[in-house]
Amino acid sequence: MLESVLGFAAVLALVFMRMPIAIAMGLVGIVGYSQLTNFKAALSMAARLIIDTAQDYGLSVVPLFILMGLFVNKGGLSRELYQVSYAFLGHLRGGLAMATIVACAGFSAICGSSLATAATMSKVAMPQMRKYGYADRLSTASIAAGGTLGILIPPSVILVIYGLLTETSIGKLFIAGIIPGLIGVLFYLLAVRYTVARDPEAGPAGERTVWRDRLSALRGVWAVLLLFFVVIGGLYGFLDVWPINLTFSPTEAAGMGAAGAFLIALSRGNLSFGDVREVLVETAHTTAALFTVLIGAWIFSNFINLAGLPEQLLEAITTLGLGPMAVMFMILAVYIVLGCVFESLSMLLLTVPIFFPLVTSLGFDPVWFGVIVVVVTEISLITPPVGLNVFVLKGVVGDVSTATIFRGVTPFWIVDILRLALLLFVPWLVLVLPNQM
Amino acid sequence: MAGENETTRDTAGLQRAGRILIYIPSWIAAATLFALMVMTFADVILRSAFNAPLAAGTELTKIFMAIIVFTALPLVTWRGEGIVVDLLDPLFSKTLARIRDVVIDLASGILLFWPAFRLWDFVDRTRSYGDTTEFLQWPLWPVVAMITLSTFVTAIVLVLRGVVGIVRPELITRRN
Repeated sequence: MLESVLGFAAVLALVFMRMPIAIAMGLVGIVGYSQLTNFKAALSMAARLIIDTAQDYGLSVVPLFILMGLFVNKGGLSRELYQVSYAFLGHLRGGLAMATIVACAGFSAICGSSLATAATMSKVAMPQMRKYGYADRLSTASIAAGGTLGILIPPSVILVIYGLLTETSIGKLFIAGIIPGLIGVLFYLLAVRYTVARDPEAGPAGERTVWRDRLSALRGVWAVLLLFFVVIGGLYGFLDVWPINLTFSPTEAAGMGAAGAFLIALSRGNLSFGDVREVLVETAHTTAALFTVLIGAWIFSNFINLAGLPEQLLEAITTLGLGPMAVMFMILAVYIVLGCVFESLSMLLLTVPIFFPLVTSLGFDPVWFGVIVVVVTEISLITPPVGLNVFVLKGVVGDVSTATIFRGVTPFWIVDILRLALLLFVPWLVLVLPNQM
Repeated sequence: MAGENETTRDTAGLQRAGRILIYIPSWIAAATLFALMVMTFADVILRSAFNAPLAAGTELTKIFMAIIVFTALPLVTWRGEGIVVDLLDPLFSKTLARIRDVVIDLASGILLFWPAFRLWDFVDRTRSYGDTTEFLQWPLWPVVAMITLSTFVTAIVLVLRGVVGIVRPELITRRN
């Protein structure tokens, strides 16, 4: 136990000194491993991991999904998604905020990054909500909160990272995220309703859109919606019917998604050679950064597994006579506390090697735990004091105080906690779809 | 004054040349990524429409991944794009942050040489065992050699970042 605790403390100390997480975890992992074996064995373990990770077929899903998101983004989707959502929801009280939630969910589903969604959608949705006299606290909160939604709706980069770290099926994780993601959208819409019910001035209704215009707004996004259904449907097995007979592995789904998004962006004529190069280089760089953290996290988890931390934790829990649910509550409490200071990916990398073996040996489903972890880390994106989405938004919007955004966001994170509780006590909601695959 | 201008011009030219040079690996990574996308797409279409999947698809994907990640890695490292926790940034004054970054870069770079040397042993081993890919029967050692070379270059880049952080800190970029 002592080695593991010292190791974890050392990693924390190093990352707080701004050492890249990959190097901190790798370094501590190698040093710790060498204490339990010898230096040469530890270096061999690390070298082997570097070589194998670089040539892992399953990891190719990472760059391809990132690529898909960036190409869709270049295709100018954000404005069109907002127009469609507005066409259907704008006439309701609080309708523009609701449209923002739905557009954010759609956009972040494909782009896979909460922060990028908050930054992009604020440019599109904020001016509209200002125009209709929405209270700043509602408009900013709906963007900040909306950005956290897509992380569960496939394809989600963070679920891919969880799947790779824990060797859990990425296809199942994706499908498992769908219902919780939709519950998230629904709950956020209720949070908007609640806000405007208390203060009708905060979100006046916009103009009603006639059906003909609604349908024409849909025309702008149908290709991307189709792409989304092909990618997810292929993963789930919907396309395994005559005459297509296709089921995708995650890599194939990602490859189809990336190529499809590329063709969509190309056909719209807003993709120059320079854009393509920029998107490809950015994806390669992000992929390299993600690979190094994965390698680091694996080296570290080899060390703590060799040190026997999972067994020791389990033993401690048995001695204390704690039930599985009590342990789960403690783990979630740890996540909520850590979430106040870490962003999602760092938190996932640092904690999953420690918690995952424990959670599965207590009999929890690995797919379910992945969804729960992602929900809980995303809550942290909008809670004080760090709430990264709030700060990103503050950076883009500028003239709204952080305190105002945090105040507006309160109903949203309250429903987030409700959603977490729901998924915790009704695991069926998470597991019903993947269990049918 | 004139001398100062000349130095600026010289460094500008050098920087331009350097920028082109350091971008070449990124372009290789970009081209490989594009090839990976096209290949995966083609593989699915061929399998579905003609029942003729690319037999070498899996092993080419593996090789492509290694190229994408390890050609991009040195530049990602140089530009400080690695994933870091910036929580305590407000606590560091400018000078303190600079010292901290120099120490971290130098230490990370020097430490990375050990796994790099171990990787070198694996190049030798893969080569003497004559390991090949399953379908195309390509030798595997060049891939391992490329990974090793990239790890060495990354270690050197980290040390360089540390040194540049001492003498020309304005050239250093960081995430956020």
